[in-house]
Parts: sequence; structure tokens; C-alpha cells
Amino acid sequence: MPFDASVTMRGLTFRSPLLTGSGTFGYGDEFLSVMDYAPLGGIVTKSLSIRPREGNPPPRICETPGGGVINSIGLANPGVEAFLKTKVKSLPVGTTRIFLSIVGDTVEEFTAVLEKLETIPEIDGYELNVSCPNVKKGGLSIGGDQVAVAEIVRACRGLTKRFLAVKLTPHHPSVPPLAEAAAKAGADALTMTNTLVAMMIDAEKRRPMLGTVTGGYSGPPLKPVALAKVWQASQAVDLPIWASGGISDGLDGIEFLMAGASGLQLGSILFADPYAPARILREMEAWCDRHGVARLADLIGSLRT
Amino acid sequence: MNRPIAEIGIVRHAFEVSANLWDLTVEAPQIAPVTRAGQFVHVRVTDNHHPFLRRPLSVGPVAGKSLRLIFNIRGEGTRLLAAKRPGDALDLIGPLGTGFAQPNPARTSLLVGGGIGVVPLQLLDDQLPANAPRRFLLGMRSQSTSPLTLEEIEDRRIDVASDDGSLGFKGNVAALLEQVLGGTDTASLDIYTCGPGAMLSAVKRISLGAGIPAFASLEVPMGCGLGACQSCAVPRADGEGYYLVCHDGPVFDARSVILEPEVLP
Repeated sequence: MPFDASVTMRGLTFRSPLLTGSGTFGYGDEFLSVMDYAPLGGIVTKSLSIRPREGNPPPRICETPGGGVINSIGLANPGVEAFLKTKVKSLPVGTTRIFLSIVGDTVEEFTAVLEKLETIPEIDGYELNVSCPNVKKGGLSIGGDQVAVAEIVRACRGLTKRFLAVKLTPHHPSVPPLAEAAAKAGADALTMTNTLVAMMIDAEKRRPMLGTVTGGYSGPPLKPVALAKVWQASQAVDLPIWASGGISDGLDGIEFLMAGASGLQLGSILFADPYAPARILREMEAWCDRHGVARLADLIGSLRT
Repeated sequence: MNRPIAEIGIVRHAFEVSANLWDLTVEAPQIAPVTRAGQFVHVRVTDNHHPFLRRPLSVGPVAGKSLRLIFNIRGEGTRLLAAKRPGDALDLIGPLGTGFAQPNPARTSLLVGGGIGVVPLQLLDDQLPANAPRRFLLGMRSQSTSPLTLEEIEDRRIDVASDDGSLGFKGNVAALLEQVLGGTDTASLDIYTCGPGAMLSAVKRISLGAGIPAFASLEVPMGCGLGACQSCAVPRADGEGYYLVCHDGPVFDARSVILEPEVLP
């Protein structure tokens, strides 16, 4: 029997669980000449805000000795109006499903961006970023407040019939209440999880390695944390979970599916390896072959506990 | 700007020019012939995530389907790169970024390199029309840390400045530049420069003072190299936010960006 990599979430079929992680993939066209998009079930763009954001002072990225990275981009983006005028035509329409990430400081900012994006016919849905660690207002402070998260999700839900994912913070002390709040408010999927607040120091210079001192930690070292968040969310709510955190090979993907993920976001790994989507899909297929699994979707939530 | 190409290159030659300074010749038949001076390749040094990110390296001289990468060992990434041997595969993305604009052959190009910053200037030197007037300056700490062999320095008629006086002018390349400018009509000069931050800042100060256009190639920590992640920001001099080194640069009109450390006249 041919291998079936497709997954269906809330009536929407994806040709594979592989997605791109917001912030690592621009607006979808930057990687076109170096990456095969065919293995991707969808892409999630960099977050869009109501006004342009120039982003944080550099340096904005540093590596960690454990094979990870810390970033402090600060949601740099042209703002939704400029996006609609100039960048929207660069969306890779027709290559894969497209989800636009939205960020804001208030409920009204989220809904204002979403309303403008509703005018684009070719997109499949949204991911609400209520958890960025690199902005002073909004971001973590909203994302840690389940009442605020529910308000944002409910308001956006009222404005769109499209697929609505919500990216939650890893810093809330307990996943279930936050996940339940987002689910009750009408989310179609939960993304678990955003980057962890972290920092690095250059002792020789006695200076932080990022312009904002702290940033968001991502890459392979994050995987055990993200696995736990995915598992906890999948136990708490009956919604598809998009895993985000340290996925770098096929075995990671298999493990996240077992933990309850239906979507697998590839983020920082794309910086190192734009061949990753095809490679990871191949590696997952090989694992399934060895274990007599014909449908990748059969692995979702299959962890034996 | 040409579209980035993902290519697995093959290392054809590897040698240690001076202590901890390596010169790799890499066969990359798709990338090498279309690379403009000042553009870079994003090099994957290992596939086991230690270190995680690619290393952006300026492309040096190109010959046919091969390009040269010349770099100092500064950490784990460049140490792994220096361990590559002929026959090894090298995962490249390139050519990336906006390089030097084609110099006007009616004007004199003044190439000012500091240490390993000489690398993109070598390709610029090669891509200048043969009869275009030029002068090539290179600063180094000492002859023992030279990024080029003596033969290459002679072939390119490079004027060297060394901090310890072991080769050429004794002093830094900014001081040599000021000496060179002292006896020259600066009206028809353009400066093309690459090197450490303090040196670039000094060259910018001198060029602004003398009213000479200057184009500088910058190096900053970088993520994707493709303009997607926006990690490689450099502040715009007009206060309107940031440029991206991977996309808008790495070569900038020196007046358009704020260099670190910036000391202006």
C-alpha cells in the first residue's frame, strides 16, 4: 500500500503534517529557489501587525553551545497595509496551504489585521501569535493571561470562517487552562509552543550577546520542552495541535505525532537546512515502513502510557 | 539580484595560508560563475547541529566553476570548515546578497581591506575591467597573519600596512589610506572596503572627511541568509529602522548605515 502522509484537521486536508514555523520563513517566497515546497502541508508566515514594526536593535541572533539559537527580532514587519500593497503577491499561492500569522497588543489590533487579511482570497487561515517573547507590550503578557487569549480568539473567530490556529506561550504555569480557554473561544488548532525566554553572555566583553539582552530560544535543544507542551495540550483539549520546537529530523516528527501533534512546524532548522522538509518526510516514511504504518495520521496521539 | 542556488560543492584544494587562516577552493559550477564581488555563500559546516547555523562567507577569487573561501578559525564552525579536505562535500547556498556595484572604469577604485576583509576585494579586483585604474591597500597585524601569500600580494600589486611593520607600511591601513590620499586628487576616487568594524569605521570617517564615496561590506550574526528571518539587521543612518545585511547588503554605501563602533569626523 502506498504511504499516506496526509492529515486532516477540522475538515481541512494537508498533504503532510509539515508546516513552517512563523518568523523563520518570511512571507513564503524567500526560500523558493532553494527549497522543495512539495513536502509541505502548509506554511505559516512571519507575524503581521496593524502598524509597521522596525524590530529590535542588533545583534538579533546568537547560537548556544547546545546546538540551538536565541533570537530577538522583535516582530519586524511592514504592517498589514504595506503587506497588502507589496508583499501579498509574493505569497507562494498554489504551492501549499498558506496561513498568515497575526500579532497585536490588543484585541482590536488582532481583529483589525484579520479583517484586512480576509480580503485575500487565496489563503487558508491564520495563526494568532499571542506569545512572542520579544516585544514589550502584548506578546508574553497577553499570552500568559488566559482571559485575554480567549478574548482575542473569540473576537477573531467571529470575523472568519477560515482555519484559526493559536500559538501559545511555553511560559504559562499550566497548559490545560490556557489550551481550554483558546479551544472554548473557537480555535481550530493550538500551536505548542513559542520560543523560551533565554540569554547568552559574552564574558570577554562583559556584554549580552543580544541587543535586547534576552531573546527567544529555539532549535533542537527545545524538543523535550515542546514535546511536553504538545502532550499536555493534546490531553487537555480535543483540537489538532501544531508542534513547534526543535523538530530537525524524521524521528522528531514521529515522536511529536505520537505525543498528539497533527501538524509539525519546522522553524530554525530551515536556517541550517532548507532540504529539511523533503528529508524529514522521507525519514518519517522510512520509519513507518519499518514499523508497518501505512498512514502517518495513524500515529497521532498513539503514545502508549 | 540573482536567485539563490542551493548546491553541494566539492572541496578541491585546502591549505593553511598562515596560522589559523585557511583557503578552500570549492568546485560549485552553478554558484561560482554567477557570483558578483561582495556577494557571499551561506555554508553549512556540519549536519549535527553543533554549531547550528550556517556561516556566511564572502566569495573570494572565482576561476571557472570554482570559488575560493578564505577565513580565520574563530570558533567551532570555522574550525570544522578548516577540517574539510579535497573531495569533501560542502553544502552551499549562494550567491547571496547585494555585492559591490560595478565600479565606474573612468574613476579610480581604491580597494581597502583589513585582514580577512581582503577576500571580497580580490574578486572585485578580478571583476574590474583590466584597464580600470585602481589601488589596492591591505592591513594586517603582522606578516605572519597575512590572509594572502606574498606572491598574491605582488601579483595584485597590493600596498600592505602591518601593525608591527613586518611587511610594508608600519601602522594600520587607515593610516596608510590617509597617507595615500594626501598625495592624490580625490575627486575621481571611489573607496571599496571590507574588514573589522573599527577599521570600517575609520575608513568611513576618512572618506566622509575627504568627500570620497565609500562602499563597505559588513559582517554581522546571520540566520537564514535569505531575507526571511531578519536577524542580520544594521541600523540605517537616516533613522528609518534597519537594513538587512543578507539582502540589502552585505555591501552598503558607508553613509547609509551606522557602523559599530561609529566615530565620525
